[in-house]
Amino acid sequence: MNQAEHKEKLSVHDALAPIREKIQACIQCGTCSGSCPNEFAMDMTPRHLWRLLLMGQAEDIFHSKTFMLCSACYYCTLRCPRGLPLTEAMGELKQIAARENLVPYNQSVRFYKSFMESVRRHGRVQEMEFMTLYFASMKSPFLPLRFAPLGLRLMSKGKVHLHIPLQNDPESLDAVFRKAEEMEKVRSEK
Amino acid sequence: MKRKIGTALVAGAGISGIRAALDLAECGYGVTLIDRCPHIGGILSQLDYQFPTDRCGMCKMLPSIARDDSSQYCLRKGLFHENIEIRLSTEIISLEGEPGHFKVMLRGKPGLISHELCTGCGACTAVCPVEVPDEFNEGLSLRKAVYLPVPHAIPNTYVIDTDACTRCGACEEACPTAAIRLSQGERRQFHILVVDDELIVRDSLKEWLEDEGFSVDMAESGPEALEQLANCAYHLMLADIKMTGMDGVELLKKAKEALPDLCVVMMTAYATVETAVEAMKIGALDYLIKPFDPNALISMVLRIYQDFETGQGHLSDFGAVVLCGGAAYFNPAESKNPFGYGVLPNVITSLEFERILSGTGPCQGKLVRPSDGKAIRKAAWIQCVGSRDLQTDADFCSDVCCMYAIKECLLAREKAEGEIETTIFYMDMRTFGKSFQRYRDQAENEQGVRFERGRIHSVIQDKEDNEGNLILHYSDRGGALHDESYDMVILAVGQLPAAGMAELAEMLKIPLNPWGFAQSEPFSLTQTGREGILLGGSFSGLKDIGESVTQASAAALSASRVIHAAGGSQEIESDTSEYRDVSRDYPKILVLVCTCGNRLSASDPQEIVRELEKDPAVFHVEFLGQTCTAEGWDRLAGLAEKYKPNRILIAACLSYIYARKLRELARQIGLNPALTEAVSYHQSASNPRGSGNLLSLLRMGIARLRHADPSPVLSVPVCQEALVVGGGIAGMTAALAVADHGFQVYLIEQAEVLGGNLRWLQKTIEGYEIKTLLDDTRMKVEKHPRIQVHIRTRVIASYGQVGSFFTTVQDEEGLTHTLEHGVTVLATGGTEAAATSYGYGTSSLVVTQKELEQKLAEKSLDPKKLAAVVMIQCVGSREEPRNYCSRVCCASALKHALYLKSQNPDMAIYVLYRDMMSYGFAETYFTQARKAGVIFIQYEVKEKPRVKISDQSVYVTVFDPILGSELEIESDLLVLATGIVPALPEYIVTTFGASVDRDGFFQEAESKWRPVDSLKEGVFGCGIAHSPRSAAESVISAEAAAQRALRILSYKQLPGGKFTAKVRHSLCSLCERCIAACPYGARVIDTDSEKIQVNPVMCQGCGSCAAVCPNSASFLEGYSIRQMLEVVDAAFA
Repeated sequence: MNQAEHKEKLSVHDALAPIREKIQACIQCGTCSGSCPNEFAMDMTPRHLWRLLLMGQAEDIFHSKTFMLCSACYYCTLRCPRGLPLTEAMGELKQIAARENLVPYNQSVRFYKSFMESVRRHGRVQEMEFMTLYFASMKSPFLPLRFAPLGLRLMSKGKVHLHIPLQNDPESLDAVFRKAEEMEKVRSEK
Repeated sequence: MKRKIGTALVAGAGISGIRAALDLAECGYGVTLIDRCPHIGGILSQLDYQFPTDRCGMCKMLPSIARDDSSQYCLRKGLFHENIEIRLSTEIISLEGEPGHFKVMLRGKPGLISHELCTGCGACTAVCPVEVPDEFNEGLSLRKAVYLPVPHAIPNTYVIDTDACTRCGACEEACPTAAIRLSQGERRQFHILVVDDELIVRDSLKEWLEDEGFSVDMAESGPEALEQLANCAYHLMLADIKMTGMDGVELLKKAKEALPDLCVVMMTAYATVETAVEAMKIGALDYLIKPFDPNALISMVLRIYQDFETGQGHLSDFGAVVLCGGAAYFNPAESKNPFGYGVLPNVITSLEFERILSGTGPCQGKLVRPSDGKAIRKAAWIQCVGSRDLQTDADFCSDVCCMYAIKECLLAREKAEGEIETTIFYMDMRTFGKSFQRYRDQAENEQGVRFERGRIHSVIQDKEDNEGNLILHYSDRGGALHDESYDMVILAVGQLPAAGMAELAEMLKIPLNPWGFAQSEPFSLTQTGREGILLGGSFSGLKDIGESVTQASAAALSASRVIHAAGGSQEIESDTSEYRDVSRDYPKILVLVCTCGNRLSASDPQEIVRELEKDPAVFHVEFLGQTCTAEGWDRLAGLAEKYKPNRILIAACLSYIYARKLRELARQIGLNPALTEAVSYHQSASNPRGSGNLLSLLRMGIARLRHADPSPVLSVPVCQEALVVGGGIAGMTAALAVADHGFQVYLIEQAEVLGGNLRWLQKTIEGYEIKTLLDDTRMKVEKHPRIQVHIRTRVIASYGQVGSFFTTVQDEEGLTHTLEHGVTVLATGGTEAAATSYGYGTSSLVVTQKELEQKLAEKSLDPKKLAAVVMIQCVGSREEPRNYCSRVCCASALKHALYLKSQNPDMAIYVLYRDMMSYGFAETYFTQARKAGVIFIQYEVKEKPRVKISDQSVYVTVFDPILGSELEIESDLLVLATGIVPALPEYIVTTFGASVDRDGFFQEAESKWRPVDSLKEGVFGCGIAHSPRSAAESVISAEAAAQRALRILSYKQLPGGKFTAKVRHSLCSLCERCIAACPYGARVIDTDSEKIQVNPVMCQGCGSCAAVCPNSASFLEGYSIRQMLEVVDAAFA
């Protein structure tokens, strides 16, 4: 393990502690896994994920796509007999992955970021801009080709707007985002 | 009959209420047993079968000594006992006073149907137009507003649901015995005075109120009203405010001066509402605004009337109060996660399923869905609905659901003859009671019940071909998803505090625990914060039948202690002298036939009289009208006084009512009650029995009476002293309990000090100091003038029977002496089982839970120096040969884990368990341990953890089913929970005539109904010798055992029953088959006289001996061959 990797591991470990705290009362009953609508696509069940988290096995957690696939439907939170904030915990795992720039999640994180950037600029997602931002961030010349069939299908149904959005959109949410960032900064400093 | 001056109130007539009431009544106290329901039996009246027998057996709770004092038929049908007054539909309104002298106000709902007159014919139900859901069948069927609360009660009289009843009066007209007094008649007694200066108002009010059945008078002015009030007693005055001359307010003032209790309702126009409010301040009850809405007016008057009717509470004195209010059940429909209950018709609760299984249920006991009648062939049980769920504020385990779910599976399999798939979805299968684990194993391995560890989150309608079926979607522990379709889904609903608990607690000033159940004191599950008010059954939370019954007996003991201390044990001088000796008289039978108000149409009385009087034993035959009325009964009693018969036979409907009345009558005229008989003669449209039938019924009764043995009931003398074997907490508690009632106790302890396991235990999981309990109890025992402690002493041998045992004990020096005592309590305790696996003994790093507790207490182990600890549960437990749960180990593990975490939060603790048995409120400590970061890993018995020990560390390898991989844990300490083994030498048990179960624990007579008795009367077991239990649980079992013992000790002469077995020695060949056949050990062979002897108290009249006897030497009194053949002849004549 080189220095950088070691450092990454440590920081991830520290970041997991507050999440573990939240779900400590988990009894591994599996209600979350049975409830999850995306479980079929996950490489491990939510229950498995929580188990790893309780055991402090960060490496395994951050090799799994489970939390990235959480669509925040809140079924698990509603149904958990322990009343644990599971959806929130999934979200926090996503944030760690984004903050620490963990390789396996690059694609998802950039997708999220591009989406949010577009929302930030215009108050809603502008599909063309969003995809452009995404392709640009991924720096992969063949990526657009992979999305081409989907893009064409969406366009034929009028789901994608081709117009180029304004750079300084009056409906921009920039102020809101800045405020949120400030608040997050204050919180993390605490 | 035995009667002391002390009285007790038992509130709640469920199983624990019945137990507590019977226990107190058998000791001679007068007991008032109340219930707010119109029937006794509580929840158990709805549950037909109980495990482990999968039958009922409730009747085994009936007295086994002085049996004739109580009813001796199915307890579901009813109960009477000489010393118990049962008052149904009754509640406690207030309580004042001190322990030993409580003044309690009880209020009963007015009975609209006379219990004496109702014959249960059902004519009222047939005509009743109202239909409402039947709570007896959990709403799965409908009933009328006039109905039978339970289908099988004796006497089964109808009641009226006053909320649902429309008072149409149809039932009143249909009732053939005029038993129904719908409030019309009663309302006539309610006098209302209407005061208004406007004639039209007066007239219309009078008309409306008279239509409702009230008596109404009118006055047109204040002075006239006052005059009328002075002349006649009115219950309610409706007074107008604005009247010329004296106005309403002035009238109110004057009327209230003269009659402070008068209810007054003011009537006013809208403009003067303020005046009306003022009037209320000076004593008016309410006001009405003109113009009136007749409905509002009537409903207000009805409300006042009902308060008047029910308001007449009844003040009684009681020495102690036992609360046996039971628990309520969780309603999933009101929960955040209802599992489709209330929406999908085939999702039902476990209680509803019990009703489906029942022969008196909505499906007549057929295993079909009530919604569409389809046979149930695949059913799933979902556990922990409303339990162990923080989202429904249920951070507790309901204790009973796991076992009743298994029972329901087995019953369903039996009904379906195996043609059913049964699956239980569970988190932990809590089989923590005695024999529970084997019951589960048998269900799983022999009966094919499927146990699936997984929690179902919701239930979805099956949209495919199966109409009405339900899909369960769940993830198994490996993470695989499953969709399974079921015919029926049963929600194993948990328990909740009984309805009205908070109000009752406030009124009685007793504390509640955080979950809303009654809070009990440390180490005593029966004591509330208020002396003299005790907790029985599941009122303090979550108990199965056996535990409820044990707790009820313990509560009875505590109540008895309070009453005894207040002087309640003084006996009431019995006014009945000895019965007349008629053994040498020729039978002289008085036959009395009730004509049921001259409705005995088909019979010809004269013919019957002529026929019967041909029999020389029949002295006189008389036909009487309505003996059920007080008048009729007086006439009957007069005849008995006049003719002085030596046998009485009565024929009437509802003979069971007469059985009790006849006993009283017999006593009055100095006749042995055994020489009276009632035969049931019931005539109705559906059962038109002719005179021929009546004649044969009477002849059968005569045949029974003719051969009835007039000799007095036998009794055995009682040595009023007790022997308690074992000086641990159970033994000491039992000894104190008996000694506090003034009886001598010998307490035998093998060790040199009293205390048993309490000497090494430190704290309970709740944090109570064990030492306090030990010191306190030991001091009381050692200072008690009535307790003789024998330390370093062993029991050598004993012989004798209930009332008189002779036991030889030997001290350390080998000196023996013999003690005589009437009862024996076995409380020899138990110890932690020896560990033989997981490397125990090879390293100091492997210890047992007990050793851990001791090391932590001596501080020879520093938690701060431990980085990781592994605990393994169920070591050698819950698998053959020790296939039982020891109950305390999970709680100890949690207690130690929490303690270690509190001392060193960085310590990693792993608990390897099979099923966490944190039953009841201990569940909350399981939650706390999880929150504290203790890791729990579930293992299967087939795949036990493996242990490798090095110098410094213990490496434990365990398969984690959720991760699907093996984990190797490096730890500094391995703690083994080895469970409890009894220290009950078999020779001690057998020398007293009791027996041990296959695990070496005390064998109780019946695990549910007689949990601390042995089949041999007079020998009781408690504490760990009985079954693994905590200190507090040992205390209640000891108190229960003491209570059972006190029933016997409180007699100088213990009376036997009327029907007991006897031996004709001239026919007896001493083959001894009867001795082997007797389940109660009531028979012994007296080698000196070469005779078989029957103990009349121990004999329960079952007749097994008579059946096996090859010579008919053994026979059952009251059922001799000659007598029975004559009865049969009469029946077929």
